[in-house]
Amino acid sequence: MMKWAKKDLEQFVKEKEYIDTLFIPLIPIHTSIDEKMTGSGFQAELTNLFSRIIEEQFRGRIVLAPDYYYIAGNAEAEVERVNNWIDSFTEKPFSYVFLFSFDRNWRKSESDLRGELLWFPGLRNGDLQSTETQSFVKEQAKEIVEIIKESWQT
Amino acid sequence: MSEPKKVSRRQFLNYTLTGLGGFMAAGMMAPMVRFAIDPVFKPAAAGDFHSVADVKEVTNEPQRFEWEVEQVDAWYESTIQKTAWVYRKEDDEIIALSPICTHLGCTVDWASNEEYPKQFFCPCHGGRYTKDGVNVPGTPPTAPLPVFETKVEEGMLYLGEEIAR
Repeated sequence: MMKWAKKDLEQFVKEKEYIDTLFIPLIPIHTSIDEKMTGSGFQAELTNLFSRIIEEQFRGRIVLAPDYYYIAGNAEAEVERVNNWIDSFTEKPFSYVFLFSFDRNWRKSESDLRGELLWFPGLRNGDLQSTETQSFVKEQAKEIVEIIKESWQT
Repeated sequence: MSEPKKVSRRQFLNYTLTGLGGFMAAGMMAPMVRFAIDPVFKPAAAGDFHSVADVKEVTNEPQRFEWEVEQVDAWYESTIQKTAWVYRKEDDEIIALSPICTHLGCTVDWASNEEYPKQFFCPCHGGRYTKDGVNVPGTPPTAPLPVFETKVEEGMLYLGEEIAR
């Protein structure tokens, strides 16, 4: 998908008729407890990895919004702002909006979100380079790719 | 007739020292200049071949092979993953196609659409290509998939630059 960068967005502006999908990564940040802090750093990196894979697959139809960061623990309070983000694309609204997150708190407000929540139980902590993480990422990414394709078909 | 110019001891010393000094300075500057403009002399990395697979793995059915290359731009040096659809033609020639749709850059899959089991299919806008990578008229892409340069050495398949068609 297209990244939030000059060159990609120039292409988007030119090819708008073909690009009808928005993908927003929702990334919580923990700031108080040390262990959670490093964990949230890991989750953020993991999320970026997924965004990159999805980008490669679908760069001709999806725009990748900049990461949406928020202080962890209060996803409900963020719903309105996330919806504002989505609604702010007024020039040409997207037909499909995907919100990708490892934060399960979003599930409680899933129905209030004006986009499809792609929630996955992430890995709590780990090493991005390890083969375990890599196979996890590959499997999950396949799943996400299929979900997006299915949404387009209906 | 003018008399031959006389070079005094002082002048002689001056000339030799300036000459010698200049020579030494040049000796010092040369590597520095060379260092400064070094990237100009480096052969283009794009011409490199990368080992991708054992040729025995290549079959008549297109398969995905992945490899990594270093990419350098003005700010970052990064490793990017490259992919190719590789298969062997009936006459044994190995074909390696880029998986990047020539329409808007999505990744195409071989036989991923049930209606077109013998074609490459792009999930984004339904672009299709025949097995040789030529775009099917009437679908969004306007050019065939690029092919990689191939070479086989000691049983390994090497892929080089992508060539647009």
